[in-house]
Amino acid sequence: MSAKISLFDRKKIIYGIIIAVVSIYIFKLFEMQILAHAQFDAKASDNSIKAIEQIALRGVFYDRNMKLLVENTPAYTVRITPAEYDTSLNSKLETILDLENGFIKNMLFKNRTYSKFIPLRVKRGADFSAIAWIEENREHLFGVDYVIEMQRGYPNGAMGSHVFGYSKEISPQQLKKEEQYYQPGDLIGSIGLEKKYEKDLRGEKGYNYILVDSRRREVGKYKNGVNDLPSQKGKDLVLSIDGELQKIAEQELNGRAGAVAAIEPSTGEVMVLASSPQFDLNQFSYFTPKDYLRQLLNDPLKPQFNRASMAAHPPGSTFKLLCAIAALDLGVITPSTTLYCGGSFTYGRSFKCHGSHGSLNVIQAIEKSCNVFFYQLIFKIGLDRLKDYATRFGFGKKLGIDINEEVRGLIPNSAYYEKIYGKNWPHGILPSLGIGQGEVNVTPLQLANYCALIANNGKSFVPHLVRGYLDENKKFHSYKYKEVNVGINQSVFDIVKEGMYRVVNGAGTATNIRINDIHIAGKTGTAQNPQGKDHALFVAFAPYENPTIAVAVLIENAGFGATWAAPIAKKIIETYVRRSMPKTAATSDKNKIEVKQGAEPFAD
Amino acid sequence: MRISYKLNDRFDLTIFLSVTLLVVIGLFAIYSSTQNTISQKGNFDKQLISWGISLCVLFFIYALPTKLLKPSAVPTYALSILLLLVVLVIGRKIGGARSWIAFGGFSFQPAEFAKLATILFLSNFLSREETDLDNLKDICIALVIGLFPIALIMLEPDLGSSFVFIGILLALLFWKGISIFGLAVVLSPGIVAVASLFGPIYFAVAVGFVIVILFFFKKDIFLSGSILALNIASGFFVDNIFNILSPHQQTRIRAFIDPNADPLGSGYNAIQAKVAIGSGGFFGKGFLHGNQTQLQFIPEQWTDFIFCVIGEEFGFIGSLFVIILFLVLFLRILRLASFAKNEFLSLVIIGILTVFFVHFLVNIGMAIGILPVIGIPLPFVSYGGSSLLINMAMLGIILNIHRSRKEST
Repeated sequence: MSAKISLFDRKKIIYGIIIAVVSIYIFKLFEMQILAHAQFDAKASDNSIKAIEQIALRGVFYDRNMKLLVENTPAYTVRITPAEYDTSLNSKLETILDLENGFIKNMLFKNRTYSKFIPLRVKRGADFSAIAWIEENREHLFGVDYVIEMQRGYPNGAMGSHVFGYSKEISPQQLKKEEQYYQPGDLIGSIGLEKKYEKDLRGEKGYNYILVDSRRREVGKYKNGVNDLPSQKGKDLVLSIDGELQKIAEQELNGRAGAVAAIEPSTGEVMVLASSPQFDLNQFSYFTPKDYLRQLLNDPLKPQFNRASMAAHPPGSTFKLLCAIAALDLGVITPSTTLYCGGSFTYGRSFKCHGSHGSLNVIQAIEKSCNVFFYQLIFKIGLDRLKDYATRFGFGKKLGIDINEEVRGLIPNSAYYEKIYGKNWPHGILPSLGIGQGEVNVTPLQLANYCALIANNGKSFVPHLVRGYLDENKKFHSYKYKEVNVGINQSVFDIVKEGMYRVVNGAGTATNIRINDIHIAGKTGTAQNPQGKDHALFVAFAPYENPTIAVAVLIENAGFGATWAAPIAKKIIETYVRRSMPKTAATSDKNKIEVKQGAEPFAD
Repeated sequence: MRISYKLNDRFDLTIFLSVTLLVVIGLFAIYSSTQNTISQKGNFDKQLISWGISLCVLFFIYALPTKLLKPSAVPTYALSILLLLVVLVIGRKIGGARSWIAFGGFSFQPAEFAKLATILFLSNFLSREETDLDNLKDICIALVIGLFPIALIMLEPDLGSSFVFIGILLALLFWKGISIFGLAVVLSPGIVAVASLFGPIYFAVAVGFVIVILFFFKKDIFLSGSILALNIASGFFVDNIFNILSPHQQTRIRAFIDPNADPLGSGYNAIQAKVAIGSGGFFGKGFLHGNQTQLQFIPEQWTDFIFCVIGEEFGFIGSLFVIILFLVLFLRILRLASFAKNEFLSLVIIGILTVFFVHFLVNIGMAIGILPVIGIPLPFVSYGGSSLLINMAMLGIILNIHRSRKEST
């Protein structure tokens, strides 16, 4: 007989089972609702509370005179909510919004994995006529709406396309690196200052907390928005760019391939950085039409290429100033040393001059831009020592300007030639280098920087485009930049500057740009171009007595520097210097006298 | 014997009030969970009406002579089997199972009715004087009575109700006084089958246990051998049984074995249910303020997942209160089982207790993630007319037996 359980025990067992189950359940509830409450609460919030990002207003750009260069302007963004949208509207919408055929279908497909209740941007910066059409046909356009978003606007008329740059939708690769801040579809600075100062400009994103249901549909604000975090506007940058000068430079360059760079010698502040041809930043302000991109890419002049800091050409005769500085500083010549020019120089072969200058000293050699003088000088200096001076003046290296689009250029030394030609490299290359031709490449920005250093007697700052930023209270904070000192004697600069003064005001090569009351000191250059017409170059600073601006101008395939480049420099210098003269005294006698006094030492 | 004429002696107010409170809490939860769901907006009103009808039925049954219960067992069982067959042919399919019969504007689940019918019929059989549970034949008859409706319900298929029937069968056999060996024989195939679902190692361990038990009881070799064979067979056939289940139930069982494997798929409900209850905290988020409930993160929250609404909006306090109400109900019914006039009525009481308890066990167990997601309502609380009606009817029987417990036969 097997064991039987008494009725009393059976009741106790059932009683035990009930108590056990109830105890387990109470214990489990205690664990979930009290011990692990925080975790579950966080999960519940994560489920139903969605933080909607508020993109911060991007910082704007002011020029050095606090004129607005780049601003935010409201623009219409058309959106589609896939859950409510009827795809039979595709072709109609594409026509109205000026989109390519199949664009919407493609976009919906790409975003198919996201919630169908999140609106997708179809078109940023839509025309008002399109918005009007949407408004009129509202009842037929389920799932189509529009919102106002900010896009970049350029009120000044100065394009500055290469300097200001633009933002683009963040790429998956960038997103991987910066995922703590950015979301897919966010804009991020792509070139120019927009890229370099992205972290200052973007501000801090804000968050609005909303409630969504299990289908990710918005139901309302979470706690009426008490937890919402407003976005913080980005920093407004104050550029060193002078809007008016930039505009003049751009107008002067219009229709040509070339560049202008202007720097304030005492501070290294870049006042003009213009490259031509330009591109229309408005076309990049949010969505770039494919046609426009294709047009830019197919243009043989490559408009997206920033010539001011990336076009490295031989410096031509503007390089002679460097040779003169090196020779004087090294003591291989004195100011009174004269060399003879008989019209040509023979070293293996004959190197020509553009005239027969006879005996001249270094000042006269600069004034006349005598080639023979400098053919001889480079042998006295030596290639490697010349490179050392070139490097001190910022050639052959990146200057460290605050945009990424910058190249090194090239200054050769003997190691460079040994690498190409071997130990016995032909020294017949050297005479050309003495006059800035051949394997030496510099950018217009490097030339301007070089000219600024000469103007300010070898001391300046790393060239930069941004002076500082404005805080929320519109208070200005300046950025600090590294000081540059080439470490060369003042007397050397005096000699070279006198030569440059004579180029314009004496019997030099750029007397065509002389102005009576503003003394420009400059140096012309013509860079030989094996592919076509020579590039015209001109570097200058002014006023000679107390330089406030240094300019470099490059016009590609134009010809002589004096003819093509110098007048542009003159216009910029004249505008700038005149503006800073007391207006009422601009034409006064006193002023004229002062200028005359300054000019006295070189009267004849 | 002194007969008390106090109300509480004639009518078990404790049971009635516990259930009334559960229904009221249920109404609050139904209102909260359906107010944002357009398709379910009328549920609160419907449940209110069902409650009214159920109360009438309860008092009607309460007032009937207790002696009518026993003779009604056989016809009730026959009718319920008929209805279970009918539903397989003309039943309406809701949620993957063909478990509803509709006529006019009214629909009900025959499985609900079959629970009561099976209790009555099985109690009737077990309470016969000649029934002897040491006799394998009688055990087999009891099993057939219990398993026949299960087989029909598995064809719908309705896994949750099947569990209830298994519970009824085991509880009644136990209450009748089945030997421990007999209980082991009845239970072991099921345990082996469930174990085999988890994998071959679990299966082997379970079979090992069966062998140990068989040695322990030292029955004759033929009996032991056939029981072992039955066990192993049930383990191997569990796949076939598993395949009878509808795909949604299969995935739910798989999700229970590993709920995080597919958090947005079949494990979703289990996870969201736990999140709702856990996030309720001590005092809850307040009536109509549960995010999970109001934003519809849990499907079917007015029926199978109603406990989540209570857990989220009324917190630990609210959940505890509901569980205590059930505890009071269970213990009160269990107490009555030993006062019952005869064995038949005692068995009926235990059967009804089992129905309530298994529903409670499975429903709350699944809401708090202890048991797999098996669609089964929480008695008196969940929305559902036929469920409420049959539960109230069963409660009527309990109260009836309580009323007449001191009357002479």
